[in-house]
Amino acid sequence: MQMDSVKYLIIGGSAAGMAAAQTIRQQDAYGSIAVLSAEADMPYFRPMIPYVVTGKKSAKDIMLSGNGPYVATGIQILTSARADSVNADSKTVSINNTWRMSYDKVLFATGSSPYIPPEIQGTDTNGVFALRTLADARGMAARAEITDHAVMLGGGLLNLKAAFALLARGVKVTLVVYSPEVLSQLMEPEDAGLIRIALDRAGLKIKTGLAAEGILSDKKGVSGIALSDGSELPCKMVCIGKGVRPSTAFLSNSGIELDRGVVVDRHTACNIPDAFSAGDAAVTFDPVTGQRITTGLWTNAVEMGRCAGYNITGKRTAYAGTFGIMNATQVADEPFVSMGIVHTKGTDYEVHASASGATYRKMVFSPDGNRLVGMTLIGDIAGAGMYRYVIRENMPVKEIKSLIISKKLHYGHFM
Amino acid sequence: MSGPREIFVRISRCTGCKTCEIACAVEHSASKNLFAAVSERPTPKTRVYVEGVLPDKRVPVLCRHCDDAPCMHACISGAIRRTAEGVVLTDTDKCIGCWTCVMVCPYGVIGRHLETHRSYRCDRCPGREIPACVSSCPTDALIYKTVGSFSDDVRKHVAEEMIAAKEE
Ligand SMILES: Cc1cc2nc3c(=O)[nH]c(=O)nc-3n(C[C@H](O)[C@H](O)[C@H](O)COP(=O)(O)OP(=O)(O)OC[C@H]3O[C@@H](n4cnc5c(N)ncnc54)[C@H](O)[C@@H]3O)c2cc1C
Repeated sequence: MQMDSVKYLIIGGSAAGMAAAQTIRQQDAYGSIAVLSAEADMPYFRPMIPYVVTGKKSAKDIMLSGNGPYVATGIQILTSARADSVNADSKTVSINNTWRMSYDKVLFATGSSPYIPPEIQGTDTNGVFALRTLADARGMAARAEITDHAVMLGGGLLNLKAAFALLARGVKVTLVVYSPEVLSQLMEPEDAGLIRIALDRAGLKIKTGLAAEGILSDKKGVSGIALSDGSELPCKMVCIGKGVRPSTAFLSNSGIELDRGVVVDRHTACNIPDAFSAGDAAVTFDPVTGQRITTGLWTNAVEMGRCAGYNITGKRTAYAGTFGIMNATQVADEPFVSMGIVHTKGTDYEVHASASGATYRKMVFSPDGNRLVGMTLIGDIAGAGMYRYVIRENMPVKEIKSLIISKKLHYGHFM
Repeated sequence: MSGPREIFVRISRCTGCKTCEIACAVEHSASKNLFAAVSERPTPKTRVYVEGVLPDKRVPVLCRHCDDAPCMHACISGAIRRTAEGVVLTDTDKCIGCWTCVMVCPYGVIGRHLETHRSYRCDRCPGREIPACVSSCPTDALIYKTVGSFSDDVRKHVAEEMIAAKEE
């Protein structure tokens, strides 16, 4: 079996892996860096793939290399190269069951993959998607050509983005959500009112409190979907958005400690020397609650990947953790930010919520009222980053609390 | 002094007149003329904000072009990069208006342009020797210098004040 060797081996060529590669190159100008990617495409900005579904952007438009901070050179990227297993003792990785690579240091940045609920029948039918990769986006774009109606299962942010991509192509879209409201991971149903109005206005049909039983098909693929209330909806496409799970199966017999994701210490290091992990694949922690969490956030993957890059090159750097919830986006014409602790029903967090016609603002403080711990902003998200700073630094808010609540805080107050 | 120049704020000198805000918006208009800019679409926006801290204290805040720019690393579309001069720039063609940069900027100085659905911030006025806000400031509260020369000035200033205090 062929055996290559490299100083820094990065498994997974996306946010975490490429941010790490960039940082390693800054710290070590000459050490060899190889990035393995199971995908056939060169690294790209994953959150941009809905634009490939709509056709507003091409694959080339969303490539990572040369854009934003990704300007380092001398990084070897191997596409269609999947790591099958890792031998942490001999420090080697088996690739595509055909060759091996040995390394000095390794980073597991294999991200996450869509969770496909096994109880739904027929998820392997042609026309069923879970939008995660550029290849999925191309597939959806092609299927959209023959689709008049698509059904989305799950009301999370990714599925909403996929839904809007299809709406933009003129496809009729029905969103089927098991929870009582969309975006239930990111905000409480009572807080989602403005978002719901915007979705309705944009022409998205939403059915809540329903699950899918099975996907119906004919010889051209998906032909409809059977729902838990006994009804059937004809459709040519089904898109599953039921969350993601860390992609760590290849590490199962490696001795690397796993707990949903790859367990790392505060310095992004695994339980075995010279091995590190970052991004969706890794278990990180919430800076407010201290709890172990896995995330599905580009922002976290980049930050943690950069941190790992420093640690791998010997510059010991602690990771500050991330909120499990930290999303900014625009759905339909409604911008929103949700961050930190936002599910407060039945808890004793101190909540200050205010609504005007077009905006909603909920600021969540610790039960003793001394710390800001989370927020949901809809319509007006100005200055959101300042609040993030206040939350993350665990700042006592005493003097600035009334400014936070009344939306009068600005950076001048810190100067 | 070598090194790229930056915009510094001398808080004690700011009177809150907001001349810088107007100069900035005009500089970022198509016409670069105050009277024409007022009716332009998309509406020209200021990227410097004069904020009130105390009833008698005003502070102009604007993009710091951070060394470790959180916006650049967080951007999900690769629209934010650093130029050779150290300026952190948002490429409006690549920006998709997801507002991730707004969510992570600790200074709160990235704006959302509602008409263009793009974010915007200080670009240090490419094409101008001195940024418009700095040259418009009537009290020299905004200055454009390298880090080294600004801290030299501050040191000199403090030294002068100490000497003055001794002589009193
Ligand atoms: C449509 C969409 C929109 C999104 N929008 C946002 C957003 O607005 N904000 C936000 O914060 N996040 C967003 N996300 C989430 C974000 O994209 C992910 O959190 C981020 O990509 C995680 O980066 P990562 O590097 O950890 O892993 P991933 O991006 O999952 O990449 C892991 C890579 O590793 C490869 N891989 C896996 N196993 C192996 C193996 N054994 N060998 C070799 N390679 C392997 C995979 O093929 C993949 O290419 C969005 C995601 C999607 C799909």
